[in-house]
This record gives sequence, C-alpha cells and structure tokens, in this order.
Amino acid sequence: MHTTRRMMMLGGVALAAPWARAQASSPFRFALTPVFLDNDAAVIAALKSALASGMGQDIELVQRRTYQEISGALLDGSVDVAWTCGYPYLQHRSELSLLGVPIWKGRPLYQSYLIVAPDDPAAGLTDLSGGTHAFSDPDSNSGYLVTASDLARLGETPDRFFSRVIFTYGHRNVVRAVAGGLTRSGSVDGYVWDALSAAEPELTARTRVIARSEWLGFPPFVARTDRIADPSVRACGSALLGLSDTVEGRTALQLLYLDGVAPPNDTLFDGIAARMAVLVGG
Amino acid sequence: MTRLPRFRDLPVTLRVPLVTAAMMILLGIVASQGVLAALGRVQVARLSEIARLHVEGLSVALGPSVLRQDVWEVYDILDRARSTYDGQRLLLSVVADERGRVLAATDPRRAPVGEDVARFEEGAVSPDTLRMTGEPALRVIAPLLYQGREVGRIVTELDVTDLLAERRSIALWLLVGNAVATALLTFGGWLAVARILRPVGTLVQAMDDSKGTPRPVAEADIPRGDPGLSRLIDTYNRMTSAVEQRAEAERRLAERERFVSLGRLSSSLAHEVNNPLGGLLNAADTIRTYADRPDVVRQSAELMQRGLSHLREVTRAILHQNRLDRAGQRLGPEDFEDLRLLFEPEALSRKQTLDWQIEAASAVLATQPAAQVRQIVLNLLLNAGAAAGQGGKVSLKVVNGDDRLSLSIADDGPGLGSSNLARLMASGPLPSGGGVGLRLVHDLVAGLDGRIHHQRTGNETIIRVELPTGGRGHA
Repeated sequence: MHTTRRMMMLGGVALAAPWARAQASSPFRFALTPVFLDNDAAVIAALKSALASGMGQDIELVQRRTYQEISGALLDGSVDVAWTCGYPYLQHRSELSLLGVPIWKGRPLYQSYLIVAPDDPAAGLTDLSGGTHAFSDPDSNSGYLVTASDLARLGETPDRFFSRVIFTYGHRNVVRAVAGGLTRSGSVDGYVWDALSAAEPELTARTRVIARSEWLGFPPFVARTDRIADPSVRACGSALLGLSDTVEGRTALQLLYLDGVAPPNDTLFDGIAARMAVLVGG
Repeated sequence: MTRLPRFRDLPVTLRVPLVTAAMMILLGIVASQGVLAALGRVQVARLSEIARLHVEGLSVALGPSVLRQDVWEVYDILDRARSTYDGQRLLLSVVADERGRVLAATDPRRAPVGEDVARFEEGAVSPDTLRMTGEPALRVIAPLLYQGREVGRIVTELDVTDLLAERRSIALWLLVGNAVATALLTFGGWLAVARILRPVGTLVQAMDDSKGTPRPVAEADIPRGDPGLSRLIDTYNRMTSAVEQRAEAERRLAERERFVSLGRLSSSLAHEVNNPLGGLLNAADTIRTYADRPDVVRQSAELMQRGLSHLREVTRAILHQNRLDRAGQRLGPEDFEDLRLLFEPEALSRKQTLDWQIEAASAVLATQPAAQVRQIVLNLLLNAGAAAGQGGKVSLKVVNGDDRLSLSIADDGPGLGSSNLARLMASGPLPSGGGVGLRLVHDLVAGLDGRIHHQRTGNETIIRVELPTGGRGHA
C-alpha cells in the first residue's frame, strides 16, 4: 500500500511536471478562510510546507474574509482547492466535489457550540431571546446554520429572536465578542472553541458553553467537480490524505489539533443538509 | 494666655534670620509653583499628544467601519488598538455613530451597543483643550471624519492617576527639599547674622545693664575691624560717661538743694533765732538785777528755759534737715512738726495763713523714707509760700487712702508758670533759667514710684503728691 501510494505520488509528480512547469507563473492556489483558521502564521506556514512537500510543487495559500468569497473564488477558478465549511459545500453541491474530510478526535465530525459569558444565567438557546448574538459567517454551518435552523424550528428568525445580530467573520472573533461582552451570546465552531481552550485558555475561560449541537460533517477540502481530475488537484487530494504519513504533515496536523484527513464521504454532511432543509422550510 | 511678642519687639539677631527664612520660604513657594506649573504643562502636552494620536489613529482606521455601522469591525479595531497601545492609559474608548448611538466600546459592558453616547460625553473636551483637573480620569471627545464628513465620534477616557501621583510626589519632594534647604539656610543665616551682630548685642546688653544706667562697652569687645560699628560703640561709650557725669552733677545739685531750701529759709529762721534772743537777754538782765529775789529769778529762768528750748528745737530741725538722708529713717508725724517749725516763721513773716492738717496714720507714714518726703514737702511749701505772697494762704494736708499716701500743698497764688509746671510734671530736659527745686520734687517722687497731680481751682493751686504704700520696694 505504502509503495503503491508512493508510486502513485511519483507518477503524479511525473505527470504533473510539464503542467507545473507550464503553470510556473501561477502556482497552485489553496484557499483558507479565517473564519476557521484565523491568522496563526505558524499553522499556515506548517500547512503550506506540508502540502507543498506532499504535492511536490509550490503552493499559494489564499485567505479570504468570508465563505462567500471563498466559494466565489473556487467557482470562478481563481483558486484550485479550498478548505471550506460543509454548508457552502452543500450550497454548491452540484459544482463542487470533496477531496477529503479532516479527522478530529478520531472522527470526521464536529459540533456547533452556543456560548455565553460565565456569569450569564442562560441554560439554553431559548433563554437568549432579546439579547445580542454573534455569528461567525452567514455561510458557516456551526457559526450560523445550526442556531438559525434551531430558531427556525421554534418558528423564529435570528433577527426577530435576538435584539441585534453581528457577524464577526471568525470563530475566534465570536469567542472574543462574547468574552469581551460585546454580545451576550455567540454561535461558534466546537472544534475551534476546543482548540482555543488549549491555545488561549484565558480567552475561552471568559465564555461558557451552554449548548452543543449533534455531530455534523467536519469542514471539508473541496474542489470544482470539473477540475477534480486535474493532476494538480488530484495531487493535492493525495497530499491531504497522506498528511498523517509525513513528518511535516503530522506537524501541521498537530498544530491544527487534527488526527488526519479521511477520504471523501458525502453522507457525513447529511446532518447539515437536514438543517438546511429546516431553514428553507422555515 | 501670654501674647506672642510683636515682631518688632524681637531682637535683631532673631529678626534678620526670620526675615531671611520668610524670603526663602517665599522663594521656595514661587520656585515650586514654577516647577509644578512646568510639570503640569509637560504632562498636559504629553496627555494631549497621546489623546490626539489615539483619536487620529482610530479615526483613520474606524472611518469605513463606522460609516457601514459594522459593530464587529469597530470593536475589533478598538480591542486590538487597546492591546497594542498604552493599555494602562486608555481606560475606555467609545465610538458612536452620527446619531450618537454607541457602535462599540473597548468595554462593551460599560458602554453597550446601541446606548446613547451622551452619558460618556459629560465633561469630555477636545484633545487640544485637555487640562489636568485633579480627576483620576479625563475624557476626550473628537469627531470621526471619513471622506470629509463627520460619520460619528469617539470618546476616550484617559487614566491620569499615575500623572497625578507623579505630581503629588514631586510636590512632596519639593516641599521636603525646600523645607530642608530653608531650615539649613535659616540656621546658617542666623549663625552669620548672630556673628555679625554680636557687637550690637554687646552694645544692647551694655545699655540694658544695671537698671537703665548705661555701662560702657569694654575695649576688648569693640570690633575694630568694623569702622562703622566701632565708631558707634565709641560714641556710645562717650555718651555713657557724659550720662554718668550728668547723673553725678544732678546728684550734687540735689545735695545742694537741701541747703538751698534751708538758705531760702535763712532769713526767717534768723528772725526765729533772733526774736527769743532779745527776751533771753532781758531775762538775763532781770536775773542779774534781781538776784536776791528768788521768785523773779525763777520766773526769768523759766522764761529763759522756754526761749532756749525753742532755739534748740529750731536748730535741731535745721540739723535734722541736713542729716536725715543718711540716717535712712522712716517718715513720722514728728517730721511734719519739724517742717512746720522750719516753714511757719517764713509764712508768718509774710503774714500768711497756714493750714496744717496731718491726718495720715503713723503706720502709713512709716512706709515712706523721711528724707525724700521731707525734701518734697519742704520744696513744695517754699514754692507755695513764695507764690501766695503777702497775706496769702498756704495749706498742707496729709491723708492716707487705701494704698497710697496723699500730700496736698495748696496756695492762693497766681499759679505755676508753664516752665515751672514743666519742671514739676515732665521728665524732659530742664527749661533754661530758674532753679532745680521743682525738678528735684519730680525726680524724688518718680524715685518713690509716686505721681504728681496739678490742679488749679478758682484762685487756688493744688499740687497733690501720691505715694504708693502697698509695696515694700523702698522699705
């Protein structure tokens, strides 16, 4: 297996080589969203280095402010592969395909957390009515869809239910908004909150998780379906799946608090799809 | 409760250092005020600069977000600015939109989103007009300008407790430093002035010594290095000897005055002696002629005895008048009898009426020295007798009050002239001309701590001498 993969990779590199030379002026572009990673230079450098080494070519990591911008860039071809959220992936399901799904705590799944200040008496979403709320991105599953669909089930919309809704375009920013008292509550990626509680415990200590969603598909790596067979895209997919096999890859995964990358599996996102249906239905 | 001595009553060696200290303190206050004012200006300038840079920097960064009313962006910028800025100084920054609603603040719990910003604008000033008010926190307000228009405003609360503490600490150090410097300089000034003024102190001491009788300054104490001071002391020494000579002269004059007063009586006293002599000679002739008639001899002998007794009284009174001052005797009723004996012939020779009332008790009279009081009364009687003239009226009345002996000498003469009155009543220099009798009365009365009252009622002149009897100072 190991040998086969190595052969494949070598083959991929050999096949990609002329293309890579031809494309030398425009390197492989891999999009990240700060909604998710924020701007930790060490993490980004490690990921870039691991991917470049895995793919055998230089890559450019592209950061955008919103999922919408990432989706747009992906669809118009200005980036080749993106690490985005399950919700925008499903929104553009017909044009996008999965390359892999990160494994966190042994499973390619994560949760959405509802957080408040530690001294806030709220015990659940319904207690937060009339307060201010921070979402991360209108296209984020954990940072918007989960709470919005929960409200839809209650016959509410975020704008009606909360006195004011703000979008911070970053899960870490949601934590900062709640911790700093800018908003009463926030919807945040459980994986980011847990990662922050290890990296910046003094920040998460000023928040308290009052509700956790069901386990949902982890934000996946996606590419345009019509380009999925491109050698560089395939090489990227292989590099992602093989991250846990290399020292550099493991370093990057460790910095990301991830275990590895699982092969594509659309059924992981059925839960998100169900919530999308609730929102549309509501 | 004793009153503090007045400044001008203090010795010059204390006054000069005190004045130096006062001027040092004044200088210290002015200098400290200057330092504090300069410090205040520096602090305000620093604070204004911090506030201005903070507000200007934020204004540039916040403009678009405020225009879009992007709460998160505004908060994010404020929060990051706070963490990278002088976080200790900036307590709170509040950004409001153009309607005055809070968009975000560094501490959203204090300034929640959507609240009216007016609450935070209270007492806020523009960065250029910022002043230290003594409050621990100062507020600065500035408009947020973007693309040439005002899109909102920013209110910043600055923590100035450290600046106030710095100011307090500097004020304290200035106070302590100035106090120590002033104390040292005052002490030094006192030492220097005391040293410089030591000859003056010696001079003052010499003047104060022995109850107002000036004593010359010893040659060793004269600072020959200081021509002004040594001249002053030389002059003083010359004055002391002059004063001494004058006192000596006065003493001799007073001594003579006794004889002068007796001299003034000599004519009448001569008569007083001469008159009985005729009778005595007659009696002697009678005895010689009628030696065989025992009754006539006895009668004449008695006559002679009376006459001789009178003569003895008169001579005794005269002798007494001369000797008494050395005997240190106390005053008694017999002294007034002596005086009457001495003065009555003078009054009779002028056919004057003499009213003689001695009502004072012997115990009261005994509180006074005989010599001085006799001299006082005799001089005043002689004066009154001379003033009353032929057929006039002279009276002496001696009574005792509660705590004083009152001697009143009255006459119906024309009254005392102004120069004589000055001799009697005042201590000033003697007017030229005239005798020293009245001035002697004045000096003697002063020496006995008594007082002289002059009264002119109708055509009567009354001189009343009151001598205290309570004290034992002159016993």
